[in-house]
Amino acid sequence: MAPVDYALRRLIKLPLLLLAVSLLVFSLSRVGGSPIGIYINHEMTPAEVAEVAERYGLDEPLHRQYLAWLGGVLQGDLGWSGVSVAPVADVLPQKLMASLELSLFAFAIVIVLGVGIGTYAGARQNRLADHISRVISIVGSSLPIFWFAFVLLIVFYLILPIAPIGRSDPDIYNSISHPTGLYTVDALLNLNLLAFRDAISHLLLPAVVLGFEGMATIARVMRSSMVDEFHEDYVDMARAKGVPEAAVVKRHVRRNALVPTVTVIGVAFGLMLQGSVIVELIFQWPGVGRWMADAVLRGDQATMMAFILVAAVIFLLVNLIVDIAYAYLDRRVELGT
Amino acid sequence: MGAATSLPLRRRSRRPSRGWRLRSFRARARRSSDVARRTLRSPTALVGGVIILLILIMALLAPVLVEPNVPDPYQMPRDWAAIDMPPGTPGHVLGTTPTGGDVLYGIVWGARNSVRLAFIVVTITLTVGVAVGSIAGFLGGRWDDVLMRIVDVVMTVPELILALAVVAVLGPSFENIILSLAVVGWADYARVVRAEIMTARLNEYVEAARVLGDSRWRIFLKDLLPNTLTPIIVLSTIDFGKTVLVGAGLSFIGLAEAGLAEWGNLVSEGSDGVVVGSWWVATFAGAMVFLWAISFNLVGDGLRDALDPKSDHR
Repeated sequence: MAPVDYALRRLIKLPLLLLAVSLLVFSLSRVGGSPIGIYINHEMTPAEVAEVAERYGLDEPLHRQYLAWLGGVLQGDLGWSGVSVAPVADVLPQKLMASLELSLFAFAIVIVLGVGIGTYAGARQNRLADHISRVISIVGSSLPIFWFAFVLLIVFYLILPIAPIGRSDPDIYNSISHPTGLYTVDALLNLNLLAFRDAISHLLLPAVVLGFEGMATIARVMRSSMVDEFHEDYVDMARAKGVPEAAVVKRHVRRNALVPTVTVIGVAFGLMLQGSVIVELIFQWPGVGRWMADAVLRGDQATMMAFILVAAVIFLLVNLIVDIAYAYLDRRVELGT
Repeated sequence: MGAATSLPLRRRSRRPSRGWRLRSFRARARRSSDVARRTLRSPTALVGGVIILLILIMALLAPVLVEPNVPDPYQMPRDWAAIDMPPGTPGHVLGTTPTGGDVLYGIVWGARNSVRLAFIVVTITLTVGVAVGSIAGFLGGRWDDVLMRIVDVVMTVPELILALAVVAVLGPSFENIILSLAVVGWADYARVVRAEIMTARLNEYVEAARVLGDSRWRIFLKDLLPNTLTPIIVLSTIDFGKTVLVGAGLSFIGLAEAGLAEWGNLVSEGSDGVVVGSWWVATFAGAMVFLWAISFNLVGDGLRDALDPKSDHR
């Protein structure tokens, strides 16, 4: 199947999967009973509670409630966020941009360092650098993200007070305009270096924590596919031609080793998506992850459902892009249905 | 396969002699001790194995090591006279939490909770995953379609996020954390088992068994299922570490009962203290989660090398 056909097929399946996820999320949320708790308080009379239930349609049969919720979602109405005391759809974009900025930064770390370490170690099999890279990858997949965050905080906040907490210094943040919602980009657009430095210094620590596990995963796969590629005949050929070793690694081996590595980008992204809940909680980052944690603790179902839907959409899209990119890079891959 | 079959084809006896069974048992025991020896030859797997053993002993001997709290030993004892004390305080070797809980107590009894969590979750996910994967891979057709679509949906959302939603719905408690991990964790096994069975079905010995008149059930048990053993053993070993890691993450967010002697919970309790200088609670408790997870990863890697003839210890 041609990559374009495959992409279209997958795109058609996407809404179906999302529908299934929405059904799963909705039924899950109703297993725990009515979501009315977040909308009422102790001082309300039963009549007032009934009125709230009626206003939100909570007295209707479940399938009606689901259809009403789904209809709302399709029209951009994600319900009322009890945690933020505002409509979910109003708060979501701003939180999403904050998370996006953090994830993009972390993602850059994942790709650059992951591929870099993997390449370097793969070219030096069983030497010191290789052993260090193996330690990094096994530590990366075993490290509790919350613990890693605290260890870094102890070092860079307590012992060497260089890393701030939160997303920004409020005074600096409020001194510039925010056309995109990405603090770093806004700072550059405002030509404000102070704000840019503020943004980067707040981003660095949480991005490292968020990206570490994904980086370790990419480094591991990159290393082993480098090792595989070195056994190929074309490497001997290039060396026999007298190509310098650095060019063999850079131009031949690394390029081919990147192909299998592309497949785990989706995995690394999923790790970041779930890590964001914990990282944003610890670093007080005003993004969707922390929002989700708050919502879970306070039983705010509208926010939770919105978060899971958004996470599912992003995760599915990333995996789709990864699969297509893989097929494009390695033409031997047969794309199934 | 058993003894050579003479023509004309007839059904093999379902009951091999007792001697055969004993021999096969001995062979199997020899093979598993061989695998164990080869696994432990890797120094990293040996270190992992020793750490796991030590933690298991600690969990087993918890009532001997520190005096159990009454009435509920899984609830942290409170020493209101020693709040937020650093390590080395008399009576509190590893210090105390901001609510006067002894960190050492939490670590020792928390080991029990971790063992329990890992054991229950892996048992359930393994059983469900192998069953689903077997049905999908062996029966194929419509069964495969339906079951794999369910797997697709479960895998649409990253594991921790789905588990988070499940606990949120069921209500925050450690039992529900265990349950939620069991609900979301089986899909990986199902995929692996299905793929292995589908590949194994193409082997000639399966065709041969069918020609010999073996029942579908017998082919499944004797010729197909054993192929899934290697990936399943490796996957579940690594899962023993991973479930505790994710579970501790969930209780860190605040989804376990307050005051429960559990590692993630302890990190959460010590988290506010970190930025004002009380580093010990979060550090020690988190280090246990890390040790647990890395040990199982090391042993899992060692097992993979020992079981996979193609791997050359790279």
